[in-house]
Amino acid sequence: MKVNVDLRLKDIPGQLVAALEPISKYDGNIRGVVHHHDDRVGGRITVNVIFEVRSEQSLDKILSTWKEGEVDIAKIDAFFETYPIQYLLVGSITSKELESITKGLEAMENVASIEIRYTGTANSSSRAALVTGKASKKETLTTLESFFKQRADKHNYMLIRGLD
Amino acid sequence: MKVVIAGFGTVGQGVAEVIGMRRELFQKGFRQKVTIVGAFDSSSLVKNPRGLDPEVLVARKAGTGRVGKRPLDGGAEEFIEEYDFDTLIETTPTNIVDAEPGLTYIRTALNAGKNVVTSNKGPLALKFRELTSTAAKNKVQLRYEASVGGAMPVINLSRELLRGEQIYSLRGILNGTCNFILNRMKDEGLPFEQALREAQEMGIAERDPTYDIDGVDSACKLAILANAIFGRDVTYNDVMRTGIRSITEDAISLASEQHMVVRLIGEINDKRVEVSPRMVPVGHPLAIGGTLNIVQLITDLAGDITVAGRGAGRKETASAVLSDLLALMNEGRGKRR
Repeated sequence: MKVNVDLRLKDIPGQLVAALEPISKYDGNIRGVVHHHDDRVGGRITVNVIFEVRSEQSLDKILSTWKEGEVDIAKIDAFFETYPIQYLLVGSITSKELESITKGLEAMENVASIEIRYTGTANSSSRAALVTGKASKKETLTTLESFFKQRADKHNYMLIRGLD
Repeated sequence: MKVVIAGFGTVGQGVAEVIGMRRELFQKGFRQKVTIVGAFDSSSLVKNPRGLDPEVLVARKAGTGRVGKRPLDGGAEEFIEEYDFDTLIETTPTNIVDAEPGLTYIRTALNAGKNVVTSNKGPLALKFRELTSTAAKNKVQLRYEASVGGAMPVINLSRELLRGEQIYSLRGILNGTCNFILNRMKDEGLPFEQALREAQEMGIAERDPTYDIDGVDSACKLAILANAIFGRDVTYNDVMRTGIRSITEDAISLASEQHMVVRLIGEINDKRVEVSPRMVPVGHPLAIGGTLNIVQLITDLAGDITVAGRGAGRKETASAVLSDLLALMNEGRGKRR
């Protein structure tokens, strides 16, 4: 997860180091720090920090530490990184099979969104179906690959993956 | 350097021509001559310790279908073993079943203390470890830039110029015929069979296109790259392989709606050595069209390095053979020790 936060810090030595320390402590990875000296509110200056954390739990711990340390958070945005799901299926793909794929993907954890487009009629031996979407965890991509591979092997159609 | 050319088809003739064309380079750059002292094809042999004229050899082959006047009579092994020369340029056609006759020619030359430069994928895709060990044991060199991607210099680039890099993975398009077919299917909305026929009419695909469209050719090249660049011990049979013959115009069209193209991609990473059709975003280097070959190396220091070039052709493949000959001369291996 990528986090973009504006902190308001007292303009005295040691404040920035103290504010950044919890990020490293909870396995965050600082990507950028920008001081806005001209943006003063109540004697405090604004510092923009961009960092990555592995989980919401880590972010919660960092936010709690800041709260306890009276670090003033002016603005915060958190973005979840997503990973593209891209599979193209070619061959004899029945409507029942498309339904099973949809159900299987809906039941899978960390599949954030999914869309299936297909061509041809249900009894066609050369139907094509394109499955696209997003996963919220990288590990899910491995699960997805096994899922599609097993189905393609079992039902004898061709599977075309996207580039990783 | 005295060389013998084994196999005098398209590549062998191209090599002879290029050796003739680069006489001045050999002389000025290395103060050496590269002299063709022998050549043989499947039915004939020609030799002259003082040198043969490349133009005469090519003309005779074109006129008679044979490079030499005397029959080979199955004596290639004995000839390679006993005749006095420094480097065998092995350009016989790829045979992925048992790699013959190239495998025997290469083995014989290495064991006789002669360097080998080859464009033949078969022996390397099936017996890479055995052949490189034989070369090391006999203190000679086996070079094979021309076996993968024609004029695209991926092996020597990786093993020599990128020696200091850790190369994490590789992926690329290693067969121009498949790329042409997939590209025509997308651009013109052609069914696979029609795009293949067009490729055959233009001389891009063979009359029997199996090696290309079933991914055999790409898998051979990938096995060679896995051994040469990643130090893996794999053969062609270890490469997971899916070809392109089941791909429909509907599938290409669906991918296109999402701004993606389908390409036959070879990939080597810590999880797999695989050739399969993949969806590639439009604008990505691997979305390249035409018959070019392209390889992307993912490295630790330099990041992504992409190299592209003509993957086949008489002069193009001869160019890769030439780079190996120059490397031998550069290392003082032009003449046997």
